[in-house]
Amino acid sequence: MKVVIHSDKLSKYYGKGGEIKAVDELDLEVYEGETFGLLGPNGAGKTTTVRLLNCIIKPTKGTATVSGFDILEEDTKVKRVTGLLAESPGLYEKLSAYEFLEFMGALYDVPSNILTERIDDLLKLFELHDRRDYLLEGYSRGMKQKILIASALIHDPPILFLDEPTSMLDPRAALMVKDLIKKLAESAGKTIFICSHILPVVEELCDRIGIINQGRLIALGTVDEIIAQTKTKTLEEAFIAITGGVEEKELLAWREQKSGDS
Amino acid sequence: MAIRKWLVVAKNEYRIRVNSIRGIRPYFPYLVTGLLAVYVAFIAPAFVSLFVDDFIAFFLSQFALAMVPIIMFLFFFYLIILPITYTLQGMQAGRVEIFLAAPIKPSDILLGEFLGVTPFYAIAITVVAGFFTAALSPLGLDVLQMAITVIIFVVTFLSALWIGTVIAALARTKFAESARGRDIGRALSLVLALPMVAVMYAIIGGGLPEALANPGTSGTVKAILGLLPSSWGAELVVSFAFNPGNIGAIGFETFTRLSGLVAFFVAVLWLGTKAANRAYSIEPTTFIASRAKPDGYFYRAVRYLGGGGSFGTLLVSVFKNYGRRLENLSRIAYILGIIIMVNVFFVRDFTDPEGPLIMAQFLFPFLAVFIVGQVAMHGKESLFIYKKTPNGVGRFVKAKLIQGWLVAVPIATAITVISLIRVPQASLIPLLAYVVIIILLVAANVALALGLALLNPQFSESARAQMSGLMVNANIAMFASIGVFIGSLIALDLGIFSTLLLQNTVIWLLAIIFLYLGKRKLGRIE
Repeated sequence: MKVVIHSDKLSKYYGKGGEIKAVDELDLEVYEGETFGLLGPNGAGKTTTVRLLNCIIKPTKGTATVSGFDILEEDTKVKRVTGLLAESPGLYEKLSAYEFLEFMGALYDVPSNILTERIDDLLKLFELHDRRDYLLEGYSRGMKQKILIASALIHDPPILFLDEPTSMLDPRAALMVKDLIKKLAESAGKTIFICSHILPVVEELCDRIGIINQGRLIALGTVDEIIAQTKTKTLEEAFIAITGGVEEKELLAWREQKSGDS
Repeated sequence: MAIRKWLVVAKNEYRIRVNSIRGIRPYFPYLVTGLLAVYVAFIAPAFVSLFVDDFIAFFLSQFALAMVPIIMFLFFFYLIILPITYTLQGMQAGRVEIFLAAPIKPSDILLGEFLGVTPFYAIAITVVAGFFTAALSPLGLDVLQMAITVIIFVVTFLSALWIGTVIAALARTKFAESARGRDIGRALSLVLALPMVAVMYAIIGGGLPEALANPGTSGTVKAILGLLPSSWGAELVVSFAFNPGNIGAIGFETFTRLSGLVAFFVAVLWLGTKAANRAYSIEPTTFIASRAKPDGYFYRAVRYLGGGGSFGTLLVSVFKNYGRRLENLSRIAYILGIIIMVNVFFVRDFTDPEGPLIMAQFLFPFLAVFIVGQVAMHGKESLFIYKKTPNGVGRFVKAKLIQGWLVAVPIATAITVISLIRVPQASLIPLLAYVVIIILLVAANVALALGLALLNPQFSESARAQMSGLMVNANIAMFASIGVFIGSLIALDLGIFSTLLLQNTVIWLLAIIFLYLGKRKLGRIE
């Protein structure tokens, strides 16, 4: 299988002397056409990894290639072959859906004769065509997320990065997004890189997953392989076993303390 | 051929700015161009013709040698801070991420953002330049001198806007990533205009025009301002006024000053594009998380004032939430700055206490609104916390009122005492009486401001929307205060002390009514 994302000791450190290790010596390979999930608790380094692989920030050390292009030397080429749904993107709320997609298409150099048709297709796909001229400020959160995914697809990139694609959505919108991701992976042959801390989403969608904690990749494989490695029964249990969790007893300690006092 | 990226960004910026007039968007440029043409060709000359002798005398006076550079400096400074203020008030890091993920150079983003808003600034530039050319025209300037005058305005103002745009982009990178940074940004946006206000007050009431009539003072001011690029063109305009239709007489000066101005513009453009890489980044700029210290004497005293129990805790919480926002402190700093400048520039010659007290009528309602006028700024959800708790709404209003008094009253007292001490003929007992009356009046203003804020809550997160809401309430409070004061002074002729007493009574009554209505409204918000 062809490797489309390859990272080599990819690291991003912050603070004096680099004491904050957002991403630490990440070695990772993602194959063409697969849906890969990067799992981790909040602050584990998922978003930083995505930003590094999309050339939004520069690594402290190490490097990576995306579709064969080096993220340090060929950032413009990397950006052309990737689409990004950021975790908290700033939408231009004073633009209509059509205007926003037109803007994004122009940023990615989509020829104008193709752009109009593609915007129409995407808006139809996301069932927003009849609302194309409404300002984004009036859209629901789910509708905004659809527009943002459409904007990540506007230049038809072979690799799609989705950072927490369903975290802010209601169950219906989340289901729709999940179906779309499946369709993109199966029918359009896209390589999809999903970052999430929502385990069922990753479990349902991803061919392979990596678990990252405190900047380090600590597990890699299929869901079944990771469950087997940790000798647990579910991905949730495996995740807690790998990343550590808070015991119920600890959570309720204050009650015991109080009842002991009285 | 792919469209140039800066043009894509510029088009997008323009679209966002004209969003509110979508219905007439296609005709907007033609409409504005037509209106500006009418202004330049007819309105500005017609206005100038009303005062033509004054304008001619002005341009040919010693005074103009320093005044024209001062006016240009004010415009220059204003156009620098305008984009900075606009950016600091509504920073969003997310949009930067959209750009950084796309194949576009930072210099193209910067240039696009600048060009996208330039048409709107061009309107202001045309209005100012149109007025100046109309004022200079009766002096007999030839076509070349007029054209150079227009070029001076365009280049000077575009340089200022470009500098402002670059600084705004750098500031966004510095501040937008963290909540603390955004707070600092909003705080800075409020006080940036103060130096400009100081110069304007000095012109209007501070005797600057009289001082500039003196060649020595005028020469010093001119020499200092001459270091700034805003003066290079301004001094050339004054030279044109002294040599109308005779550009040959000042050919070398024209060449050097104009070349210097154009070179400055090119240099700042170049430096700005070089700074663009640093202006578009979402790398975290700080990892320092703000940490609360244990309560000191002040908060313990506030808790004690609140009765020490659960209400005391609530009062301290309300106070902390207020005091830990630099934006709130900056509002106080802003209004204090205005009060100080008013006292320095406008209240210089008062020999009795009435002057400072009348000035207080204008400014203390603003102080009150700036302190308690944003009860709803964190959205309905934050108010629902109080609605959910037993007697929460009443206790919240009470806590906010006491917090407002604890901030506003000491400030107003200090200002009043300092103002009155400057009055040479005043004796102690009447001064103390005036101070007490002002304290009561400020307390009433706080209650009125809180009532107004509750009655017309501003839920928007936008700093601009919040500020416009505040200004509406501040003007209502100010006109209520002044209206009652002047109305009773003229109609009843009671003398200033009795008028202040009557005013106190009326403002307190209004405050109680508005506070009651506001509290009721808060209880009914859904």
